[in-house]
Amino acid sequence: MEINLNHVDYMQVGVTSQKTMKLLPAIGRRATQKVAVADHDGVLTCFGMKKGEAVPVFKTLPGQKISRLELGGAQGTPQEKIFVSCGSEVRGFTKKGKQFLSFEANLTETINAMHVSGADLFVCASYIYNHYCDCKDQDYYLSGDKINDIVCLPVETVGRTVPILACQDRVLRVLQGSELLYDVEVPGPPSVLELNNKDGGKEGDEVLYGTADGKLGLVKITESSPVLKWGINNDKRKGGILCIDTFDITGDGVRDILVGRDDGSVEVYGLDSSNEPSLRFEHVLSESVTSIQGGCVGKENYDEVLTTTYTGWVTGLTSEPQQMDAGPGEEVKMSKETQAKVAALRAELEQLQVKVLQGREKYQQSSQSSTAVSAVPVFSVNDKFTLCQDDASYSLTLEVQSAIDNLLLQSDVPIDLLDVDKNSAVVSFSECDSEQPNGNFLLATYRCQANTTRLELKVRSIEGQYGTLQAYITPRLQPKTCQVRQYQIKPLSLHQRTHSISQDRPMNTLSLVGQFSFAEIHSWVVFCLPEVPEKTPAGDNVTFFFQNTFLGTQLEATYCKGEAHFKSDNISTISILKDVLSKEATKRKINLNISYDINEDSVSHTLKMIHPKLEYQLLLAKKVQLIDALKELQVHEGNADFLIPEYRSILDESAHLQEEYKKQPAHLERLYGMITDLFIDKFKFKGQNVKTKVSLLLEILDNYDLNSLMDFFNDA
Amino acid sequence: MLVPIFTLKLNHKINPRMVTMGKFDGIHPCLTAATQAGKVFIHNPHTRGQRQATHRLSQSAQDSDISLLNINQAVSCLTSGTLGPNTTGDTLLVGSQTNLLAYDVHDNTDIFYREVTDGANAIVLGKLGDISSPLAIIGGNCALQGFDFEGNDQFWTVTGDNVRSLVLFDFTGDGKNELLVGSEDFDIRVFKEDELVSEMAENETVTSLCHMHDSRFGYALANGTVGVYDRTARYWRIKSKNHAMSIHAFDLNADGVVELITGWSNGKIDARSDRTGEVIFKDNFSSSVAGVVEGDYRMDGKIQLICTSVEGEVRGYLPASKEMKGNLMDSSVEQDLVRELSQRKQNLLLELRNYEENAKAAPGASEGDSGMGVIPANTQLQTALAVRAATESQKAHIELSISTPNETIIRSVLIFAEGIFEGESHVVHPSPQNLSGCVRVPIIPPKDIPVDLHVKAFVGGKNSTQFHVFEITRQLPRFSMYDYNVQHGGPQPTGRVTFSINDRPQRVVMWLNQNFLLPEGIESPDVAFTCLRGGGLLRVSMQTSGEITLNTDDIDLAGDLVQSLTSFLAIEDLQAEADFPSYFQELRTTLTEVDEFHSVHQKLTAAMADHSNHIRNMLVQAEDARLMGDMRNMKKRFIELYDLNRDLINEYKIRSNNHNALLSCLKSVNQAIQRAGRLRVGKPKNQVISACRDAIKNNNVNALFKIMKAGTASS
Repeated sequence: MEINLNHVDYMQVGVTSQKTMKLLPAIGRRATQKVAVADHDGVLTCFGMKKGEAVPVFKTLPGQKISRLELGGAQGTPQEKIFVSCGSEVRGFTKKGKQFLSFEANLTETINAMHVSGADLFVCASYIYNHYCDCKDQDYYLSGDKINDIVCLPVETVGRTVPILACQDRVLRVLQGSELLYDVEVPGPPSVLELNNKDGGKEGDEVLYGTADGKLGLVKITESSPVLKWGINNDKRKGGILCIDTFDITGDGVRDILVGRDDGSVEVYGLDSSNEPSLRFEHVLSESVTSIQGGCVGKENYDEVLTTTYTGWVTGLTSEPQQMDAGPGEEVKMSKETQAKVAALRAELEQLQVKVLQGREKYQQSSQSSTAVSAVPVFSVNDKFTLCQDDASYSLTLEVQSAIDNLLLQSDVPIDLLDVDKNSAVVSFSECDSEQPNGNFLLATYRCQANTTRLELKVRSIEGQYGTLQAYITPRLQPKTCQVRQYQIKPLSLHQRTHSISQDRPMNTLSLVGQFSFAEIHSWVVFCLPEVPEKTPAGDNVTFFFQNTFLGTQLEATYCKGEAHFKSDNISTISILKDVLSKEATKRKINLNISYDINEDSVSHTLKMIHPKLEYQLLLAKKVQLIDALKELQVHEGNADFLIPEYRSILDESAHLQEEYKKQPAHLERLYGMITDLFIDKFKFKGQNVKTKVSLLLEILDNYDLNSLMDFFNDA
Repeated sequence: MLVPIFTLKLNHKINPRMVTMGKFDGIHPCLTAATQAGKVFIHNPHTRGQRQATHRLSQSAQDSDISLLNINQAVSCLTSGTLGPNTTGDTLLVGSQTNLLAYDVHDNTDIFYREVTDGANAIVLGKLGDISSPLAIIGGNCALQGFDFEGNDQFWTVTGDNVRSLVLFDFTGDGKNELLVGSEDFDIRVFKEDELVSEMAENETVTSLCHMHDSRFGYALANGTVGVYDRTARYWRIKSKNHAMSIHAFDLNADGVVELITGWSNGKIDARSDRTGEVIFKDNFSSSVAGVVEGDYRMDGKIQLICTSVEGEVRGYLPASKEMKGNLMDSSVEQDLVRELSQRKQNLLLELRNYEENAKAAPGASEGDSGMGVIPANTQLQTALAVRAATESQKAHIELSISTPNETIIRSVLIFAEGIFEGESHVVHPSPQNLSGCVRVPIIPPKDIPVDLHVKAFVGGKNSTQFHVFEITRQLPRFSMYDYNVQHGGPQPTGRVTFSINDRPQRVVMWLNQNFLLPEGIESPDVAFTCLRGGGLLRVSMQTSGEITLNTDDIDLAGDLVQSLTSFLAIEDLQAEADFPSYFQELRTTLTEVDEFHSVHQKLTAAMADHSNHIRNMLVQAEDARLMGDMRNMKKRFIELYDLNRDLINEYKIRSNNHNALLSCLKSVNQAIQRAGRLRVGKPKNQVISACRDAIKNNNVNALFKIMKAGTASS
């Protein structure tokens, strides 16, 4: 069934965090609902819509940044009490705006996830989970990696308290009291959790999760083990999921799944007869969607999807038709409400303008004084630097409250900057002096078009080359300032955490023995590999599994105080680790005893793993090369019937082939680079320098054949 | 929202910028475009399948609406329109790198087929100035040529570089058309017949030009800029990361004023208001746009805008109906307005907050943990420009130094400027250990153009994460790469140009100060410089009589100086005497080379004809042998044929090398004429150019040099 939703803006508040907007329950059926939204200025706003105008019910005074907003209330009564978390404090407000609770959780860190259920309060800081009942401490848990979200199965249906933590290391941790019940492995770092159907389904144990790399799934948390019901992959490379809600917007009696993502897309998934989700509606907003709710706000009897975006826009996608009722020959009629709204806004603007002018003057005057300082407050930047699994490149997204004027990217490691279609900014590469003293490998400026608040970039790194990427962001805001953000390009930048690795591959091992503490070796691993928690894990030893997103090779890292073992089927990975770790240890003057065990079979194993990819790419390149010539022949002869079937199929698939080719720029070069590294590394461990033979290798690659390549590796 | 009224998939690729609409039978409009393999296709949906395949024309086997024309050469430009006086329909004109074909599609005959040595990069058809018949004007390597319907060469002139775009319209408002030429040296030149009336400097190759209305025209550059000029003043421009493939003027919102329609390399089509550049409509193709034209393609009396993509997709748009109120995009006006106002409010609030927070900061406050960038309020940046001669480690450059007066540091400097950097910006980002309050930026402008440097400097403390951005604009004078310090005893320049002006020396000094980086206190117009780019000397001297002599070996520089000085002093006509012995010597060699290449060309052509005769004979013999069953002989013949074929291919390679060398020589000859012209201004300039042309036509080399020196034909 097709649904048609129209975009309506309601109001704008300050910058918002994830999950900071909720709809209060309606009084009576099909009446309009009130909206509660909280922002980084610490303001909680509750408003309703009356005749197209936002009428505030109450608004609190500014304070500390609000990180979450939840609704609660005694069990069995309407959930209409508003709870917000700011700093390490939780505050409660009635629907009229009266504060009835102020609870200091006594955490050293700020709360970044919260759940309220009856008298139970669950809060999470970075690694810590706390459960309070009637504001009294109940349970406590220290998680192995950062906690992104928390949800609890409904006590009324399940009959016990089951908190579920979404943790950065790709697991959902299901707790029982202060103990871990079990882990649920999910395909990406989970960023948001929500109960299915708002009540967890019939048995109250169904949880929806969304991941930072854009995957969505439903998992059933039974008493003993999890059951994965379904999962949707992120094939279209959309943004990460920030918020989920369930609401029957299609009107078919089944609650649909509403999803908001950090690239601004809003999606509605409907469930078909076999309970499989399918995409029913899609809309793209210009900024990341931080909260999403289904309900009725703008007009009675018209359901809508309500969203808030990063810069604080509260926007509805309503089922109410937005028809322009201008007949032919008439001026476009603006509804009276909008006219009034515009007039009010204009008046407000004028007042502000005067104030700003005064401020500006004062600021200018202060530049005459020799003691005064110019201090401009930090503007908020929403940034994300993530590894995309399917094309093994990093995507950097930056979002600022006001329009971006320009962006300077600087890197002290060689990286490639790729073009992103979506982004309209004019990029310009500046000449770099990669030699000392300045050591810049990339200097690029992005000059943005007016009204660009969000920028998306793609960066391709090379494993083994590590350093820092810096972004200087200058928004169009007076007095002009720029903020620098740093992103680490780690030595094994293309690796990703995974839950397990297959043990039957030929493995190379690197072992370190020395006088280092657990914390030290952990900090080295953090330095080398992405997605490792910065906090030293609890316990005496730890094991992490990784996968190379480009080649599919694996790495296992096991270490404890004084000892560390790294196992990988890729010799280059081991070589990089060896170089970096010995360098780090020398820096701290720690004696390391490094030993390695090289498995000759692993090289041919890795080559075999690369083989299908390489063959596919070579074939693709060859086919794409032929397309133009074949098309010309086709035009010349009038049809393609005389061609051999192979060529005809190329012609038939030409559009698809070209698209595929365009999607993976420089893929072949990257593969060649990795094979060359593999070759050099293999002989490095034997103590031979084979750099002179690289040109021979490249010759072989130009006329690629797996056997001759393997022979070359063996004979050289 | 405006939607296309028709969409076609033609299954033929379309070469970018080679699309036209012609009524070849006088009634039915046909979409005509160049496609692969040296072919031109004509899409005629109205009279299908009536023609026989003869001569150049053949019917496409895939689509009965399409006929294909064999040009047998890579097409480089095409257009259509009325050329001859008594033809029924439009004439199709197809240009390649060597030839121009005028073709009557209706009668399937060639009207003329002319060899054009300078190639045809761009073509335009129409009336020019007082020339009575319409001309097909082609722009090639530095040259412009106009042909009438009989193929007679009616118009010829030279321009600064390879021509990339042409348009004809009444620029001066005198009721006659002028020719606008966009070329690879980034200039838009306006020709009133062969007189150059205006010149507008841009910062990239001018790839497209189109007339909007009255004296207004649109242009597009190779770096993704599109914009609108009114006469010589730029009205607006925008820059995109994509490239503009084709621009066209069309009134899409039916408000009586045409909009600038741009087709982009990423497949986007947008319509922009001619006044503001604001986008009023956009649409997307799946592949790059090839061309934008207009015509009554449905034959219902309404003109449509027709956009084509390189993959052969065609979409037609009708101008918006009244009901749409000029609102062609899929959004409501009021919401946009409210949103814009709210956004402005938000911005003002944020700015206000900045001032409030700033006022709160106590004097003497330091960064603290807030990460706020704190600097003394009286920090002001000092900038200075200086010429630096070459040293062992660094090339000669202009140094822009930026410094802070206190202990703050400059984290990074961004300079946005057009035409002097590889991209549009240059960045200096010192490593953390080299941070200081002073940054020196070496700048080497590749050309003598005046440039505005928009400098953004990030100022803050050593460990700040937020910096103050200082924005400063400095102008780099046109002739900045000339060092006032002259080492004595070097070789003196042999070239010179001498002319007289009726102006005070002080005015010349003023010009010098504005256009060179001079130390203060220069009061005499007699100065000497070292050229930092090529070395060598430049000497400017002025007699009391008002006679100015410029001594330099660089004829281009001399021309630039003359043009700059005369426009500063507002001189309209200027005659000059010049002598550039070394350059003239070079030119003389080039001219002999041209002759040699020509004779080689003729010899090769004769040899080719010989060979083709041989082939014919041999083929007959081989066929005979086959029919007679004499396999041995047949094999022998075919082997010989194979050898001959190889020879032919080799010869072809020689011929094409010869041709390329010839082309580059011809280009430098054309450039020489242009350069000789640039030493003069106004009428004398045009006289020099046409006199040079005549001298070349008559192959009178000595006269050519005489003209270049004296500035007149013969007195």
